[in-house]
Amino acid sequence: MADVVELRGIRKSYDHFVAVDNLSLAIRTGGVYGLLGPNGAGKTSTIRMMIGITMPDEGEVRLFGERFHRGLLHRVGYLPEERGLYKRMKVLDHLVLLGALHNLSETEARKRSLAWCERMQLSEWTHKKVEELSKGMQQKIQFIAALLHDPELVIMDEPFAGLDPANSVMLKDILIELKKAGKTILFSTHRMDQVERLCDSICLIDHGHAILEGDLKKIKASYGKNHVQMQYEGDPGLESCDLVQSFNNYGNYVEVRLKPGADAQQLLRMAVDHARISRFELLEPSLEEIFIDQVGRHA
Amino acid sequence: MRNIWMLIQREYLERVRSRSFVIFTLLMPAFMAGSVLIPEKIEQMNSGGEKRIVVVANNPQLAAAVGRELSAAAAKAKTDLALETEELKPTVYTVQVDTDTSDAEGDRLRQQVSNGQIAGFLWLTDTALEDHKVIYSTKEAADFGQSVEIRNAVRTAVTKQRLSQKGMKDTDIDTMLTPIKLQTLRIENGREGTSGTTVFFTAFAMVMLLYSVVLIYGIAVMRSVIEEKNTRILEVLLSAVTPRQLLAGKILGVGAVGLTQILIWVTFAILFSVPGLLASRSFLGEVHIPVGGMIAFAIFFLLGYLLYSSMYAAIGSMVNTDHEAQQMQWPAMVPLVLGVVLMNPVIQHPNSPLAFWLSIFPFFAPILMLVRILVSQPPLWQIALSIAIMTATVYGLLALASRIYRVGILMYGKRPTLPELRRWLRYAG
Repeated sequence: MADVVELRGIRKSYDHFVAVDNLSLAIRTGGVYGLLGPNGAGKTSTIRMMIGITMPDEGEVRLFGERFHRGLLHRVGYLPEERGLYKRMKVLDHLVLLGALHNLSETEARKRSLAWCERMQLSEWTHKKVEELSKGMQQKIQFIAALLHDPELVIMDEPFAGLDPANSVMLKDILIELKKAGKTILFSTHRMDQVERLCDSICLIDHGHAILEGDLKKIKASYGKNHVQMQYEGDPGLESCDLVQSFNNYGNYVEVRLKPGADAQQLLRMAVDHARISRFELLEPSLEEIFIDQVGRHA
Repeated sequence: MRNIWMLIQREYLERVRSRSFVIFTLLMPAFMAGSVLIPEKIEQMNSGGEKRIVVVANNPQLAAAVGRELSAAAAKAKTDLALETEELKPTVYTVQVDTDTSDAEGDRLRQQVSNGQIAGFLWLTDTALEDHKVIYSTKEAADFGQSVEIRNAVRTAVTKQRLSQKGMKDTDIDTMLTPIKLQTLRIENGREGTSGTTVFFTAFAMVMLLYSVVLIYGIAVMRSVIEEKNTRILEVLLSAVTPRQLLAGKILGVGAVGLTQILIWVTFAILFSVPGLLASRSFLGEVHIPVGGMIAFAIFFLLGYLLYSSMYAAIGSMVNTDHEAQQMQWPAMVPLVLGVVLMNPVIQHPNSPLAFWLSIFPFFAPILMLVRILVSQPPLWQIALSIAIMTATVYGLLALASRIYRVGILMYGKRPTLPELRRWLRYAG
């Protein structure tokens, strides 16, 4: 099956600043794809080029196996990072407008809007003006707007940013549901915990380059179990130990990355001599550590 | 196309349904009617009545003659006014002749004016006549109607006296002094049509309407772009529509609101003025409805609106707040205001080379070519040329504005410098 999104060597520069540089990636049909990177890495620029808000200076964007053209956009749902609504429009009218702009008939858009509003417990608010709604409710309306036309590909730029906890959970449930329904979901974030829980594949970008791309499980496996989480009393002197490549103190526990070829048992023996160990666990690295490692390596 | 249509609908309905639109649309005719009717009412309330004045003159016959001229004028005014309105009454003057020309008498009369015993006194002594300078002293020096009445009476009385001293008969004098009325008529299609004053006021009113609606709705387009930037709705829309469609929907939607407002106002104006016009047809002559002028108005309004609103849209997309916009809107504001300022020379010499060049310049054309069409009949090729240049300019400006808009609406930072703006124009789609 063709890839849902394929970027081939795209480049975008603004003035003298290169936002995206020779970026290539492919997103397979189905599943959740995470676009990660620190702030200013080029995530939003990449997404904007995927849906034709801006055009790449070089390279090619392909959607659903075709070269990008605007006709494909009705199969894409987009939730931008900068999102808002017309404040003085009534909720239902607003949703119908956005649905209709995505090629739905007005009747169909109305029917679907009402169904979504009921599901999101907004039924009583459909005839209120948007400005009368709380921020949390407006966020729900924005999700509905992105999903109203039942897109095959859902693109969300930092969808969890600014969400209250209840809406965060609701969005996560919706994303999982969409995934089960065979949709492809792409979202960008700089928060690793969400990616770890939700994504099947990732692309890590920094300074406009893709520095790591692929299946999340494989990426983690390739790092091997070279991480150790420890809890202890006393000071085992891990920071200066020649087995340790990096050391991270999280307060309640420390996480250590071993040097290539170093033996975890040797580290344990050494630590026992200097401190009382209450927990010693071998782990795959967390995504956050992979992230920091990769970004640090390319810096 | 469907997208543009839906965006137009949204823009139009939200505005037309808003309270401010309804209030403004209704208040404007009320305000216009009020600004005409209220001073008229006040004048009616103050009109009529009697005024006692003293005429100080060495020659009592001259003083009496001034009194006669004043009453004759009042009688004539009464018959003239009766045609127009019954409420407005002419002032009736009672004249008291005084032959004491001493300074002491002057002081005494001044006292009387201050006490309100008399309305004023006229110093018509022989010395004053020799100096060709007569003084009327009153508390109501700003009442121009009164000054004119008294001045005319004095002039006529003095002229008559001098002529009769030269040995002319009174009847000959009256015939001689009957004023000649001059009426300026505009030649349209080889025949005399509307009178000059009507032409002037129609032109003035239409141009001011065009100017204010273009300005109000140009600014409305700008503010609406800024508001969309601030509510962060634009990127949501951009996944479904192009910036060009957004811009077109906005400009056309807001323009349709402006057109609706004009139509409502014109309907109001017709409803209010038609009964009056029909009633006064007998003495105004044939009531003239300037159909050609209205068509010209529609064309120049649309082109002018498109021209200025595309500039305003570009400005709106470059800034983030209304405050910034105020500092940036001069490129659109200056030519528009300048057009109105230049209206006067063009009305006076509508067929001069200056008027021609000004009315061909696309930023002035909506106002100045319209003025020329309304007050004279410029050659058809000039009208066509002006419309062609404007259409080309509108096309160019819309292309330019949509390029600026396309980049500007996604920029939330500081507003661009000129070199940055040049780069915006060059960015790929």
